[in-house]
Amino acid sequence: MNAPPSRDAFRADVPPNPLPRPPEEFEILKKAWEPPKGLAFVTAVNNTYVGLWYIGTALLFFVLAGVLALIMRTQLALPESEIVGHDLYNQLFTMHGTVMMFLFAVPAVEAASVYLLPNMQAARDLPFPRLSAYAFWAYFIGGLVFFTTIFWGVAPNQGWYMYPPLTSYQYSPEDNADWWLLGIGFIEISAIAGAIEIIVGVMKTRAVGMSLDRLPVYSWAMLVFAVMIVVGFPAIILGTVLLELERAFHWPFFIAEKGGDPVLWQHLFWFFGHPEVYIIFLPATGMVSMIVPTIAQTPLVGYRLIVLALIATGFLSFGLWVHHMYSTGLPKMSLGFFSAASTAVAVPSGIQVFAWIATIAAGRVKLTTPALFVIGFLFIFTLGGLTGVMVAMVPFDWQAHDSYFIVAHLHYVLIGGMVFPLFAAFYYWTPVASKNPLSERLGRWVFALMFGGVNLAFFPMHLTGLLGMPRRVYTYPPGLGWDGLNMLSTIGAFTIAAGIALFLFDLARNFRLASEDNAGNVWNAGTLEWLPNGNYATRSIPHVASRDPLWDRPDLPREVENGQWYLPGAPTGRREALVTSPIDGRPQYILQIPGPGWQHFLAAVFTAAFFLLLTVKWVILATICGVAAFASVIWWLWETDPGPTRPPADIGGGIVVPVYVTGPTNHSWWAMIVLMVVSGMIYGCMIFSYLFLWLVNPDQWPPPGTDVPSGIYPLAVAALYLAGSALIAWASRLLRGEDRRKPRTVAILLALAAPSVLLAVGIDIWSQWGLSPEAHAYGAAVYGLLSLQALFAGTVAIMALYTIARWWADKLDSVRRSTFDNTMLFWHYTTAQGLAGILVVHGFPRLIGGA
Amino acid sequence: MLLPLAGCTGVQSALDPAGDDARHIGVLTAVLFIGGGAIFFGVTALLLYALFRAPERRAWLGTRRTVILGGLAFPIVTLTALLPYGLYALRVTDASEGGEPLLVEVVGEQFWWRVHYPAEAGAPAFDTANEIRLPVGREVRVAMTAADVIHSFWMPNFAGKLDMIPGRVNELVFTPEKVGAYRGQCGEFCGDQHARMAFDVFALPPEDFAAWRERQAQSGAAPADPFLQRGKLLFIRNGCGNCHAVRGTEAVGRLGPDLTHVGSRATIGAGQFPNNVGTLAGWIADVQHLKTGARMPSYSSLSGEELRALAAYLENLK
Amino acid sequence: MASRRLTQLFLALSGMIAWAVQFTVIYGATSTLCERGWADFALVGINIVPLVVVGATAVALAATAYVLWQALGWRKAMQEGTPPADRFLVDTTVVVSGLSLVSILWQGLPGVLVPPCY
Repeated sequence: MNAPPSRDAFRADVPPNPLPRPPEEFEILKKAWEPPKGLAFVTAVNNTYVGLWYIGTALLFFVLAGVLALIMRTQLALPESEIVGHDLYNQLFTMHGTVMMFLFAVPAVEAASVYLLPNMQAARDLPFPRLSAYAFWAYFIGGLVFFTTIFWGVAPNQGWYMYPPLTSYQYSPEDNADWWLLGIGFIEISAIAGAIEIIVGVMKTRAVGMSLDRLPVYSWAMLVFAVMIVVGFPAIILGTVLLELERAFHWPFFIAEKGGDPVLWQHLFWFFGHPEVYIIFLPATGMVSMIVPTIAQTPLVGYRLIVLALIATGFLSFGLWVHHMYSTGLPKMSLGFFSAASTAVAVPSGIQVFAWIATIAAGRVKLTTPALFVIGFLFIFTLGGLTGVMVAMVPFDWQAHDSYFIVAHLHYVLIGGMVFPLFAAFYYWTPVASKNPLSERLGRWVFALMFGGVNLAFFPMHLTGLLGMPRRVYTYPPGLGWDGLNMLSTIGAFTIAAGIALFLFDLARNFRLASEDNAGNVWNAGTLEWLPNGNYATRSIPHVASRDPLWDRPDLPREVENGQWYLPGAPTGRREALVTSPIDGRPQYILQIPGPGWQHFLAAVFTAAFFLLLTVKWVILATICGVAAFASVIWWLWETDPGPTRPPADIGGGIVVPVYVTGPTNHSWWAMIVLMVVSGMIYGCMIFSYLFLWLVNPDQWPPPGTDVPSGIYPLAVAALYLAGSALIAWASRLLRGEDRRKPRTVAILLALAAPSVLLAVGIDIWSQWGLSPEAHAYGAAVYGLLSLQALFAGTVAIMALYTIARWWADKLDSVRRSTFDNTMLFWHYTTAQGLAGILVVHGFPRLIGGA
Repeated sequence: MLLPLAGCTGVQSALDPAGDDARHIGVLTAVLFIGGGAIFFGVTALLLYALFRAPERRAWLGTRRTVILGGLAFPIVTLTALLPYGLYALRVTDASEGGEPLLVEVVGEQFWWRVHYPAEAGAPAFDTANEIRLPVGREVRVAMTAADVIHSFWMPNFAGKLDMIPGRVNELVFTPEKVGAYRGQCGEFCGDQHARMAFDVFALPPEDFAAWRERQAQSGAAPADPFLQRGKLLFIRNGCGNCHAVRGTEAVGRLGPDLTHVGSRATIGAGQFPNNVGTLAGWIADVQHLKTGARMPSYSSLSGEELRALAAYLENLK
Repeated sequence: MASRRLTQLFLALSGMIAWAVQFTVIYGATSTLCERGWADFALVGINIVPLVVVGATAVALAATAYVLWQALGWRKAMQEGTPPADRFLVDTTVVVSGLSLVSILWQGLPGVLVPPCY
């Protein structure tokens, strides 16, 4: 392994590569990045294609969910109206919320970052292009099928927050709730895949010299966003699984008569659901922080404070979830804690708003369409933020909660905080992706209609709510002072719709997909996404010395295009990205990234089919699709971990970096660490659920007549887990050295470790054999922990077989060992999780003396 | 203080307090609105200044100092004042002031309210439904839970909402202060007819309350004439008593609302229709059209005359 | 090198981590003590619940203040040649710890202003 290049090896002021460049260099680069043609276009993985499909799909769902809202507003325009009945209305508001949150907002900001992030960091692509393509296709297919349920009248109709017992088998025996649980549950997995991609992308694939202090604010925002997804989404994934287990197998996690508690769901849901709001909001603020300096033509004021705001929001927003549960009757002091955190989270928003105002004051703003949307955003979001502080005050929230006041507040925050920045972004970044910019003249009208419409629709709702109108009612009686206000809101909703329609018209007229011949830097922006680019992104990767490199080095675009900066070609002849160190942005190695392929596409199609078929209970077909999805994933993985296909390459200026590394420098090592955090959060939420259920079941833990298994079982199980990990660690020692050795013992050790972990989980399940998961929440919680562990044990066993197969096929040795490393990391994680599970399941009842 | 919001009076309005909790929250609301409004106008004015003031005149605003003072110092100072005030408001709202409170037990069901007044000194217990009457000036303690799914108990004129959760009992404490007729409504989506799950609240002078309470504890009025007797007979024959109770008769059902004094209530159908013979008859004949998904079947086979008799009997249960 | 960077990153975030730990401890303790009816217990005349809250708040405040004090020292010691990334991490440590102090203080307020378990 080469030592990282010394400091003086690279300079930001002189391009490292002399001119002229060898003529074939650019051809090889272009050829490596050529998109697939014809029908095979769906196999494309390049971030510019996937990013645009992704954005387009999110926009489609925005329009569809908006149409649902228009139907609702039509129904509510007049009291006692009979345009739609309660049955359809309840589906409409559930779908509106669900689609806007899960199929529009989160995917839209992830989509925008798939497109923008590599460009802003002058990376050739994201580190796992097939993973983002997989996430896109899973979302596209799953989302569309999910949406069609509204046409068959089987859409979920219990609210986007799915509170049991209303959503459990007793009160919702139909499939509606399953569509939500399986459909959305699986789209959450796609969001997590995207988050892993973004974390590794921000940390590892940046322009040279782009140290943390020079990272675009958007990258910071996306990093915090992705970390929040990794921490927050596991709670809802676990909640979804538990509720589906209750619906399908009657495990009573949320049924009060059997020791469950419906409030547990609310904790799991809102531990995800509140951060979700900031998950949607932060990327939008990142966009604003990129747009404001350009429209004001001056660097952003208060960069470090904005980074502080992003970090603080990332943390504090996890202390707010009970904010949505103020009326559940929890002790007042507990509510006070959440009130305090809800207050604290207002400070970071204040920092950002004032940083933008200061930047605007420091420069000269031309009132272009992006500028108008940013100004509209500041106006609407400030108002929404202030009502947010109001509802942070517990007693006020007792009145406002679940009334139209909240409808007003959340639309101000989400439309102001996310939709307006997104539209600013559409107008601002279209020249990067299209031959023509969007129309400035139409843009003003779009803005005026949307801005007027939003205020007309949602401002009156503050009053409607305080006058006593609850949310989620399909109709209301006349004479309570709500009639005129509702009519205003309906007129406002249609005004917004007119603005969106005009925007779509503008899009159809002016948006023409382009890469090399795009409209270019029409706003005179200072950041790297405005460099000349093609499918290969930028011709060469610049060394940046500031946060606005295009302003500080006007020659940079020409130099980059000429190939004067780093990695102007493709040394391996295939797609590559330059991996840089996470803090200082020094080049570390050339990452060989996969190109187009059917594997991830088929995997996505079959995963979607598996979940959707399971929802309608076509179990056999679902199983076939599940197996097919699994096979596609294995096929996909098989091509990864290419090993050192050539000796270290010169990327320019005498800097020679390897084309393959292993260990903590490797990008997949990072992804595995993030995946372990996701897994740990899921399991942690299961342990939380176990302890929560204990708390609400005094003297029933375990319930009378149930025994905790003898202490010999946990000891045996722990020993087996530890033995498995020890075998893997031993194998890892044998698999060291630069001589590319591949001892047979490694395969044997792996082959021994797999049965060890399976036996461990088998014994653990057997020790609980008499326990019924249906009778009481205790049994359900124990089986919940065991089932999760069994899933992980099964996964590592399969990973062992896969690793052995790699060894067998000569794709694994002491140098080319990323696959082994990932297996090893996940193995040790599974061991740790198993030991934690034993402590809880066998230790906790003994600790509290219930045994 | 609530002057700008005058005209927001109403029987279901948080801005027209008739009890101590709503009053405390009303003051908090006014503080939040005035303070929030001032901040909003300040920020907007600053933004417009930053946009349109001559560049050399606004230059002072374009520095890091603005972010520190406006974005960091100002919120910290303001919120350091607001948070303790909010916590103080939390302390005094939904809080007992001592003394002997009136106990009321309410159970939320799809899609109506089961109400029980437990016995207290000299006054026996009784059941009613979809209507709560309270004496002004005396602390009230409403203990609540749900029979099926989660509901939320909300009488905006008196107090904030509190959820009714299966397996949990929550308590709301407040004191009615203003005599009048008010309305409450379910605040948590609870299924098909969440929109039609309301109830009436009457705050009465203590002596009126005592009189009402005494009447409610008695058995249902015996039918005085043959027409009403026929109504009662129909009530029993059609099995109404399997689900409804009329104390003093063989109707002892517990599934639906207690009808012992249904004639004395202001509305029927959980706050949906004014209570009279016509609406009662219409309800019995066609409940599944008026409130689709309610647990009661439509009795469309009854003739017009039968419906009139049945409704008259119920209307007479005052 | 790598472990020095990890330490720097951890310190930059340590204020917020202290807040998160404080939050978990006080919310977890309050819920458990109240739900289980163990909240009647008093130590030197003060109820156990506010005691836990104030204690956790004090520890979190002290830890964060210490980091802030250290970081201010590092900032003073910085020279011309200090790499911008190091400068940035120290600055971030200062501002994050500073804001965390306020958050932690606010977080503890309900412990003294609101009665426990009701």
